[in-house]
Order: sequence, then C-alpha cells, then structure tokens
Amino acid sequence: MWNKPWKYKEGVVIGAGLLAVGFLLQAAAGKIKWECVAFPVNVIVLFLFLVWLGGMHAFRKKVYLFGWLSHYAAAVSSLGWVVGMTVLMGLIKQIPSHYSLDGPEEWLGFSQMLSSWSFVLLYVWMTVVLGMAILRVGLPFRWRKVPFLLNHIGLLIVLVAATLGNADMQRLRMTASLDNAEWRALNEATRQIVELPLAIELKKFTIDEYPPKLMLIDNVTGKALPEEAPAHLLLEEGVKEGRLQDWHLIVMQSVPEAASVATKDTLRFTEFRSMGSTYAVYLKAVNHKTNEQREGWVSCGSFMFSNKVLNLNDEVSLAMPEREPQRFASEVVVYTASGLRQKGTIEVNKPFELDGWKIYQLGYDEAKGRWSDVCVFELVRDPWLPYVYVGISLMILGAVCLFTTARPGRRKEKLA
Amino acid sequence: MSWECFVFFAIAALICWGIGAAVAWQGKHVVWVYGFTLAGLVVFFSFIVAMWISLERPPMQTMGETRLWYSFFLPLAGLITYIRWKYKWILSFSFILSLVFICINVFKPEIHNKTLMPALQSPWFAPHVIVYMFAYAMLGAAAVMAVYLLWLKKKAPKKQELALCDNLVYVGLAFMTLGLLFGAIWAKKAWGHYWGWDPKETWAAATWFGYLVYIHFRLDCPSAYRKSLIILLVSFILLQMCWYGINYLPSAQGVSVHTYNFN
Repeated sequence: MWNKPWKYKEGVVIGAGLLAVGFLLQAAAGKIKWECVAFPVNVIVLFLFLVWLGGMHAFRKKVYLFGWLSHYAAAVSSLGWVVGMTVLMGLIKQIPSHYSLDGPEEWLGFSQMLSSWSFVLLYVWMTVVLGMAILRVGLPFRWRKVPFLLNHIGLLIVLVAATLGNADMQRLRMTASLDNAEWRALNEATRQIVELPLAIELKKFTIDEYPPKLMLIDNVTGKALPEEAPAHLLLEEGVKEGRLQDWHLIVMQSVPEAASVATKDTLRFTEFRSMGSTYAVYLKAVNHKTNEQREGWVSCGSFMFSNKVLNLNDEVSLAMPEREPQRFASEVVVYTASGLRQKGTIEVNKPFELDGWKIYQLGYDEAKGRWSDVCVFELVRDPWLPYVYVGISLMILGAVCLFTTARPGRRKEKLA
Repeated sequence: MSWECFVFFAIAALICWGIGAAVAWQGKHVVWVYGFTLAGLVVFFSFIVAMWISLERPPMQTMGETRLWYSFFLPLAGLITYIRWKYKWILSFSFILSLVFICINVFKPEIHNKTLMPALQSPWFAPHVIVYMFAYAMLGAAAVMAVYLLWLKKKAPKKQELALCDNLVYVGLAFMTLGLLFGAIWAKKAWGHYWGWDPKETWAAATWFGYLVYIHFRLDCPSAYRKSLIILLVSFILLQMCWYGINYLPSAQGVSVHTYNFN
C-alpha cells in the first residue's frame, strides 16, 4: 500500500481516515452548527475553497496526493464512501438538527447525518475530487470537453452553493387570520419570532374539494374493504349508482350542503347552506348475493356535524370518508416596507413572489376545513438560489450531452 | 376508459411485442420488427392516454400506474436499443420484463384513485415521473444484462456486450439526472426547497452516486468487468429502495412526502 500509483486501497483508507477524523471532531466540538456558516462566513469559505483548489492544482506535480485527487481512483473511492454514508442516512431515521442527542447517537451523529462531521467531510472530499478533476480536464479548454465540463461544473456549483447557502436561507412560518395584516413570523430553525419587512393580509381562503367517496368498512376493525386494495365509489356529478363488492348502491337523494337533524329515533339530513355544512346522500344498498336490502343516510361530517355511516349487516358498513382537497387558494394583499401594495393568490405549487421572498401555502385550520379563517404561509428567502439554478441548468445540458454521446468508442476520448 | 379494459389492451400489445421479438431473432425483416413493436407501443399508449382522460389527471400516482409506464417504456427502450445496436435478443428481453409488470398489474391491481392531491398538480409532475420511469427501464435492462454476463454466460463477455451495459447506463443515468433535477425544480415550487433530504431524495442521491461509481470505475478499470457489473447490480438494488423499498423501510415511515401511493 501507498506504492504509486495509488489505487482503491489507498482510497478506502483515506475515506476511513476522514470518517475517524469526523468522529473525533464530533466528540470534541459536537455536531456541525450550520448557522455559523451564514454570510459573510460562507463567502470567505467559498473564497478559501477556490484558492485551496487552485493551489492544489498548481502543486499537483509536486505533491502526489494533489495529482491523485483528480483521477478516477480518487473519484471512485470518494463516491463509494459518499454512497455508503448516504445509504446509512437512508436506513437510520433522521431527527431534526435542533433536537439534542446523547450517547452513541451523539458522538456518531448518524441520526442527524447532515450535521455529522464524518458525513460532511466525506462529501467535501468528493467535492474536492470533483473540483480537481474539473481543473485538470478543463485546462486548457477544448470544445470536446464541454459535456464533461457541463456535468462536473454543474454538480460542483449545485453542491457548493446549496451547502454554503443553506445558512443564509430563511424559512419562516406565518399564521395569517382573515382581514388582519400580519408581519411577524416564526423562524423554523431557531424557533424565534421575526419581524418582517413585509406584511400579509388574508382576504379570502377557499378549498375546492373532490366529490365525496363511498367505501365499505369492516365493522370490527374499521378498515376499508377489501383490505389489500380498498375500493371506492366516487360520487361525481351524474353518478347515481355503482357497486362495491357484492353491494349494488343506488343514490336516491344527495344534499351537497346539509345539516343533520336528530329526530326522536332517527337522524336525517336537510339542506343547510351555511358554515359547517356537510355532504350527505340517502341511498339504497342491495346485496346481489344474499338479497339483503338497506336504506339510509351516509355523510362525511364536518366540524359541526358528526359523520354518519350506514350499517349494511353485522360485518360491513357503508361510510363516506372526508372529502379530499383539490385546490387550496388564499387571496392576499402583501404590503412592503417601501410602500408597495400588491394583490395575489397563493396556491400549492404556485407561490407568490415579492422582494426576494417566496410565499407558500402551507396550511389552514384543518378542524374548520374550508371554513378556516386562518392560513399558514411559509416565507422563504434563499439568496443563493440563482447560483443553484445555474448549476442545475448546466447539469440539465450535461445530461442531454451524456445521452447524445452514449455510444461505443466515444466515452474514452471525453476524458482523455 | 376503466381499468377493467386494461387486460385487452395489454394482450394486444404483448402479442405485437412478442411477434416483433420473434422476428428480431431471425435477423431478417427489420421493418416487421419495427412495425410490430411500434404497433404494440401505440396500442399500449392509447390505453394510458384513455386512462389519463378518464381519470382527468396523469396516471402516475399509484404504484400500479407507475408500473403501467414502466411496462410501456421497457419495449420502447428495447426498440431504441435495437434500432441503434441491432441486438437480436433485446426485444425478447424487454418483452419478458414488460410481461412481468403487466401481469402484476392484471393480478394485483392497486387502487386507481381519481383524486390528485394539490401538491401533485404541477406541470413538472408528468416530466418528472415519465423521465424517471424511462431511466428505470434503461437501468433495469442494464441490470439484467449484468446478471446475464455475470452468471448465465459461460464465456467472458465480448467488448460489445460490455459497451451495451455502459450505453444503457449512460442513457439511463442521463434520464435519471433529468428526473432528479426536474424533481428539484418542482420541489422548490411546491415545498419551498429544492432538496429536503426526504427519505426518497436520500435514496435517489445514493442511487445516482452509485451509478456514478459504475461509470468512473469502468473508465478506470475497463478489464475488471466482474467488479463493475457487481457495482451495477448494487446500484440497481439502491434504485429499488428508492422506487418502492422506502415504503417498507421503518426509517422512512411517516416522514416521507413521497409516499402518496400508500395513502
């Protein structure tokens, strides 16, 4: 071992060394506190990293290790270690970094892998190898090296910008209530209330729901039937009958906005166009095997009215689960400190953008459902995002090149 | 179009693919090979389109639905490989794999729910899943080729056979990279961050890096083919973890935002 050229044994040992150093650092200094890397530290670290890479590249012929870092053996070894650590992360349940750990969990740090020194050191090693390979292959520039450069530089930018930019990213949670302007939000990482340079006023919140469904449930276990692949009947517009297992169902009356009214010995539903209304159907169920027949109301209930199931026999009942949301939308007015006033709609997958902030629809008062008068928004500001997108764009172009250049005899020359 | 009609479309498509594969073995009548395989693809794809229309959403949410795309992309990947490199056996092989996935869908269909949760209603949904399924198909083909070369073929593999593995991995990895990046862009739109180390994302990263190990190892040690084929198979196992393995993994229970299909 350590005979030149270094191959995989040396690579494995270097990785093991980094792992051991990681454990020692973890024991000595505790887990990595990413918030310490916030601006301007991250810019300094980036500068030093680039100088370090450039320096190693310049001395690659004098120091064997530096030259070795840009070669396949280093790439394969570091990638191998990265795969190992990532698999470990996938196998161990991860705990958010603001929880403190004790015992072996603390000094190994594997349950908070992203704050663990060994994980980060091995990823840094791979990133260094990536940088060294880019410098070796990319200088001097040749057009035929473009696919290689797109893939590798793209990945380098994404890894570096995402990691260093992480501490500058703000993720805040704001609860806005109807017709009130709110400018305070909770920082999810530090658990502190932050006053923002903008305020959000919730004007209207709506939930469009999918039509209700009917399902058979087991009277004893309460599980939907058939247990392995529960079946349902979607009560779309125009659907008046259908089948669930042996039961033929005929909808005789449906009341989309209903209230339950308890009479002496029964429960019935009547039209109720107001807050808290529920969906109810009156139906007839016929078992085509046993000819059993049942009639009655089924409803999914709401925060005001409880749900109603129809007992078909001793084993099964017919139930209507809660309706699934199709679209959440919050109409808001956003005010900025500079006096700007802008109206907008925030939906899932359609964040609202203003002054470098992206505002996401996160939640609402689930107990009240579509009558919720509060909304939870997530406000995200990520100054490094444009750089990450540059990296992603290069990688997309690189992937297209990888696809088009995949044929025998072409790959060797890319790195030659 | 309802799921009950699937079996008819599947049988028609399989017959076309089977004839195409059989003709390919004879090494003549290339036009017939193309014609039958394409016809099968058209038949199968028309079922997917019909499902898409009747569900009023892209059929990509449940495991059964992703298997539908996988069954479609396998013969398509086989056809592209055949057009490019003319391997006689590739269509038989993609036919058998597709048959397996079709059989699972016929005998163990899963709920085909019409509702689509708001987070999945995005223009990135279709490209993310389609590109991934195509990548899985190519990488699946590479894995079976690796098994064949490692244990079934008695002689040492030919240069072209290893080149086929490489090409399948290159194309598969290119598509997997696109799928991963489309997913990241979508995640930024939907959840506020492009990478959240959700269990599915963690396994996707492990898989992606695994295939990078294969590619770099092949370039470094082209003659150590047994080791590289083993790396290929290990990467394929990681891919299985990423695709559906996490649904059974205790560490991923209740924390993954990607486990829609088990709801």
